[in-house]
Amino acid sequence: MAIETSNECMSVAQAEILLQSGVNCRGVTNAPPKFQVGDMVKAKVMHPVTYTRLPRYVRGKVGTIAKVHGVYVFPDTIGQRLDTKPQYVYNVRFAAQDIWGPDASPKDFLHIDLFDDHLDTV
Amino acid sequence: MNGPHDMGGMHGMGPIPIEADESVFHSQWEAKVFAMSFATFCNYFPVDETRHASERMPPGDYLTSSYYERWLYALELLITEHNLVTPEEIEQRIAKLSQEEY
Amino acid sequence: MPHSHHSESDIALRVRAIESLLAEKGIIDPATLDAIIDAYEHRIGPHNGARIVAKAWVSYDYKQRLLADGTSAIAELGLTGFSSEHMVVVENTPQVHNLVVCTLCSCYPWAILGLPPTWYKSFAYRSRAVIEPRKVLQEFGLDIPDEVEIRVWDSNADLRYLVLPERPSGTEDMSEEALADLVTRNAMIGTAKVYPPRSPSTITA
Repeated sequence: MAIETSNECMSVAQAEILLQSGVNCRGVTNAPPKFQVGDMVKAKVMHPVTYTRLPRYVRGKVGTIAKVHGVYVFPDTIGQRLDTKPQYVYNVRFAAQDIWGPDASPKDFLHIDLFDDHLDTV
Repeated sequence: MNGPHDMGGMHGMGPIPIEADESVFHSQWEAKVFAMSFATFCNYFPVDETRHASERMPPGDYLTSSYYERWLYALELLITEHNLVTPEEIEQRIAKLSQEEY
Repeated sequence: MPHSHHSESDIALRVRAIESLLAEKGIIDPATLDAIIDAYEHRIGPHNGARIVAKAWVSYDYKQRLLADGTSAIAELGLTGFSSEHMVVVENTPQVHNLVVCTLCSCYPWAILGLPPTWYKSFAYRSRAVIEPRKVLQEFGLDIPDEVEIRVWDSNADLRYLVLPERPSGTEDMSEEALADLVTRNAMIGTAKVYPPRSPSTITA
């Protein structure tokens, strides 16, 4: 399932299309979302030596699903030219104190978009 | 990868460098690096592959480079890894252009 | 591989060498490079985002659509584009202040705001916005009261974020076009507020 590229020189017309339409990152999967708004989730503890969009500062932290964004292709595998691995993306809300400890403001929150493969159930 | 790019929460980075009336590019080479990279997006390299390529810059270099220096690193890494251009060709062309200047 | 600490002229030479090789091999077209640079220098910029904000301020229905589905509502204005394909719009209120960052690289809604400013791409902003947002905002001249909630959006996936700032008071009679002129780039990232005309502001970028 390696991702192949066309390896053609981008024309002015192609560049205009890319500028105006961009790249559609939506994907399709038959699976239902694993999580719903309000669910508590834990960002996985994992340290891949390859590409990942799961930042270290949230790994192992517990947050709440704030929004289900729908299905998107998975950057972590695309960055290695592997499978597009479409899956759900969720906006996860973390209390700043749960990430940084009591020095953080109790009124600060972090919202970060994470994929099914980044999340565990609590 | 646990690289220097993953910097959320790091300390010691100093004040935010706010520039008034900043131009889009600060030099011609920045504009060219940006445009060459953009022109390879999708057709040659998935955008995430280019992001990952900049993360692969050695940590010491990453933390002492500018934004478009990291883009240049990524572009050069990918065009050489995918055998579009060899490192020797780049060095030879630099030498040639350098001679022409003097 | 290039190493940092090179002088500007060394880097410029290296870039010219790579450009000439890629053009010679038919991998890039110089005309395409010119078109890309021209688009980001002259066509694409924060005026696009300002149009969205002004429309949301004057049209309650549009604002509801924008907050519910940013991608579709922005497409209504024909303003989608590269690195703004999947948009989320978050609203500032007296109770909530939103701030957008990308800690891992510098993801940013290019088609809506143009290419990001140096400060957005800086290590200082990327590292500090998530751990001490209130101190970061103070450096922009914004003091957020303790009781106001701050939401920091780390745009690490393929969704891009736009802040809908609060409409300043005293602008009730202004047209949509005039309102758009008040909206700054930083206000749409969350590092500034929008001020009524002639009101002093510390940051004008």
